Amino acid sequence: MRDRPSGFANPWFQLWLSVLCVLVSELLLKRGASATAHLAENWSWTGITGLASPLVWVAIVFVIISFLSWLYVLKYIPLSVAFPLSRVVDVLVPLSCWFILGETISPRRWCGIALVVVGLAVVAKPVARLEERL
Amino acid sequence: MTLWSFVLILISLIAFVAGQLLLKHAMESTTANGFRNAKVISLLSCGTSCMTISFFLTLGLLQHFDLSYLYPFQGLSVIFISVAAAVVLREKLTLQLTIGALLISAGIVLVSLS
Repeated sequence: MRDRPSGFANPWFQLWLSVLCVLVSELLLKRGASATAHLAENWSWTGITGLASPLVWVAIVFVIISFLSWLYVLKYIPLSVAFPLSRVVDVLVPLSCWFILGETISPRRWCGIALVVVGLAVVAKPVARLEERL
Repeated sequence: MTLWSFVLILISLIAFVAGQLLLKHAMESTTANGFRNAKVISLLSCGTSCMTISFFLTLGLLQHFDLSYLYPFQGLSVIFISVAAAVVLREKLTLQLTIGALLISAGIVLVSLS
């Protein structure tokens, strides 16, 4: 790992920014896709009818921001470290679905969420130790 | 879940993994060559195309399934990407990274089954 900038340009900060933008975009996409599901005809499986919803367009802006910060992350952090860590979004998405969209979380799903958190900790711990030494 | 939707999920997953590998490779090349470079630009456009295909397929699937059910399928990509990063990009996969990736994937699959 090479020298990396601090503050806003810090790749770990950018990783968080990317994850949060993905989270927001997923929630917006679900709202937008549901709202346009009735438009679905021959081409519905491509998702192109989703573009009829303004929420989907806002979501696309968030996707672009997350994409740019993700590219920046890739420049500095190995994919096999950055990608598993970015899956923190798989904990945040069901939790937000529960909070905001009112979807339910079963006991088994709670177990899955817990397992992901443990996995994240296992990946993040050696990285954090590595960072301390730098 | 029908066979057709399973195929769509699989295609969007493969496009996603391929896209990530291309983008990582492109961004590593920028350190040596900068952005104004035919190789970097073609890698970035291929990677972005893969991600776009995956994005629209996911959007289509979202019209028919709950987000909290559908999205975690991408969690399987953790295993695919860790392996691909080790094989294709020659990144060093430590024991801890492997265990962590397996735990994350197992958790995500559990989430998607319930």
